[in-house]
Amino acid sequence: MSNVRRNFLKRLGAVVAAAAATMASASPAKAFSSRNPGRDAKDPRYVGQEDKRWGMVMDLSKCIGCQACTAACKAENTIPDRVFRTWVPEYELGRYPRVRKAFLPQLCNHCEKPSCVSVCPTGATFAREDGVVVVDSEICWGCGYCLNACPYDKRYFNPLTQVADKCTYCAHRIDEGLLPACVESCVGGARIFGDLNDPKSEVSRLVSGAPSTVLNPASGTRPQTYYLGLAGELQAQPSGPPILDDLARKRDGLPAAEWTTKA
Amino acid sequence: MDMMQTVHTLTSITPARPWGLDIPNYFWFTGSSAAAFIVSSFAHVFGMKKFKPIAGFSLLVAFVLLVAAPLNLIDDLRQPGRMINFFLYGWENFGTSPMKWGVLLLATYPVLILAEALVLYRPFLVRRLQEANRGVTRAFYKGLTLGRTDLSEEALHKDERLGFILGAVGIPLALCVHGYTGYILGVVHSSPLWHTPLMPILFLASAMVSGTGLLLVILPVAQRFFTTTGRIDKEVMTALARLLGWSIIIDLVVRFFWLTFAVAFNSNERYRLMDFFGYHFHEILWVEYVLCLLIPMIIAFSRLGRRLPWQFAIGFVAAVGVWLFRWNTVIGGQTIGKTTAGLLSYHPHLFGAGSIGAVMANWLLFVALLCAVLLVFPWDEEMDRHYGKELES
Repeated sequence: MSNVRRNFLKRLGAVVAAAAATMASASPAKAFSSRNPGRDAKDPRYVGQEDKRWGMVMDLSKCIGCQACTAACKAENTIPDRVFRTWVPEYELGRYPRVRKAFLPQLCNHCEKPSCVSVCPTGATFAREDGVVVVDSEICWGCGYCLNACPYDKRYFNPLTQVADKCTYCAHRIDEGLLPACVESCVGGARIFGDLNDPKSEVSRLVSGAPSTVLNPASGTRPQTYYLGLAGELQAQPSGPPILDDLARKRDGLPAAEWTTKA
Repeated sequence: MDMMQTVHTLTSITPARPWGLDIPNYFWFTGSSAAAFIVSSFAHVFGMKKFKPIAGFSLLVAFVLLVAAPLNLIDDLRQPGRMINFFLYGWENFGTSPMKWGVLLLATYPVLILAEALVLYRPFLVRRLQEANRGVTRAFYKGLTLGRTDLSEEALHKDERLGFILGAVGIPLALCVHGYTGYILGVVHSSPLWHTPLMPILFLASAMVSGTGLLLVILPVAQRFFTTTGRIDKEVMTALARLLGWSIIIDLVVRFFWLTFAVAFNSNERYRLMDFFGYHFHEILWVEYVLCLLIPMIIAFSRLGRRLPWQFAIGFVAAVGVWLFRWNTVIGGQTIGKTTAGLLSYHPHLFGAGSIGAVMANWLLFVALLCAVLLVFPWDEEMDRHYGKELES
């Protein structure tokens, strides 16, 4: 190797080393981040409450399907039309004359192993230290990979921000010591929220004291939203009739939405 | 009593799904590109003489397909202006998000094909440079030759070596570029239709079908109407038809494994898959399998497979069939309910992002780009040289 080339390589090495050192010592809010600028900056909204593990219990024997939670969530989080962070589907179980109604309140399960987080190519969705899974709406580029990866269909594109959106357990409220809006508005007390790390909290007591289950446990995502009294037939139901909203649009002569239930 | 029949959803919300028309179209483009590249490598890397005359042509087709393909992805993004975010953030998910590394493949692969095309066509480009009168044309061709205008025996030999190396590196890269698209779907465990390690192989096998089919459609058109001789190479068409037949066999074998593992044995997912395949039974069986795979395969190996109109027809039908397979996989996988009962249906919009119009525009762009690239690169001269040599010998 000639001397010129060797000197050039030496100089190049020095420049690269200097650049790497500068980048390593730069402020955490630097433009390039291998993760996400908010997390690097240790923004409290991104870190959460480090010693906590937030979870929710749904006591289905107390849910009356009033949709107060749905309305409260919409108002609290300014959720646009036709999209929902939480909702309560209503089912009819059994055959006449032995029929009963069932409600299944649903929201993001804030999984311990969230599949939405692992597939995100921009690091926009991540789990905080307290287990709350959130989306950074400034970083998300709207590829929809997380929407498809979620085994619970609890993500949607927000028509206002044009990026992925979902329930945050009302992170802005719990960071202030308040309860999520849906929990506070639940008339039957069916939604119980608290710290799963604290053995004395009501959620811990309920999860350990009575048989509880999670939605679709086979997905392996370890949801942190637990259900008491969940009917087995409500899970894994292959066939179903079209949903009322889609039928109503058809009846009213409105153009079909991009995705509808099959007639 | 069948418990499954006793649940009725009275009210709920229809979940919207993120991936529309753009995505099956994107998968079709990248797949066909990989296959066209491999056909070109048959000559450049494996030294298969019968594919020599069309090696350059299919390399250019592979390039254009891959330039047009990612535009579908950009159209599908809800915030396309934030593309830079992809490169700045989220590297912690490199191992778990195939999209993260896939886009890197997608960015390097077309550069490699272009480099290979520039190397292989260099002697022709140098000649055009020498013939050029105007300064702009000269500068253009000088750029394309990358400043190497030496036409000596030694330089030509170096081109050949470089072409071989680029082609050899390109084969695994081509397989990765399309394999990753199957990988993207395969890792999504929430969709029973997608969640199989066979998905990348399934995508590659069907890509060989669509890529060969596409060549069977464009090659005769290009040779008949845009070369000086206007002669369609029947031998190479027959070779391509045979290749199509073999690709269909491989595709069918992989699909057999996929469907039997997914549906025939007792797994939790099979109920949803049986619901899905039951609903689409006739269209999948008669259109996707019989019309678009079995019949072209039989024709490819029969005497009809040596006749141009049939070669053209089976190429077209097989390529369309693979598009339908991409559609049934991407859209179909999303129609299966996760926490809602039953299947969903998709109604693509006519205009706007992810619409029928957007995909049509992408196809028009593909045709325009193909015309432009075929104008710039002297693929016809290269073909003439091969056929001229054949005549001499």
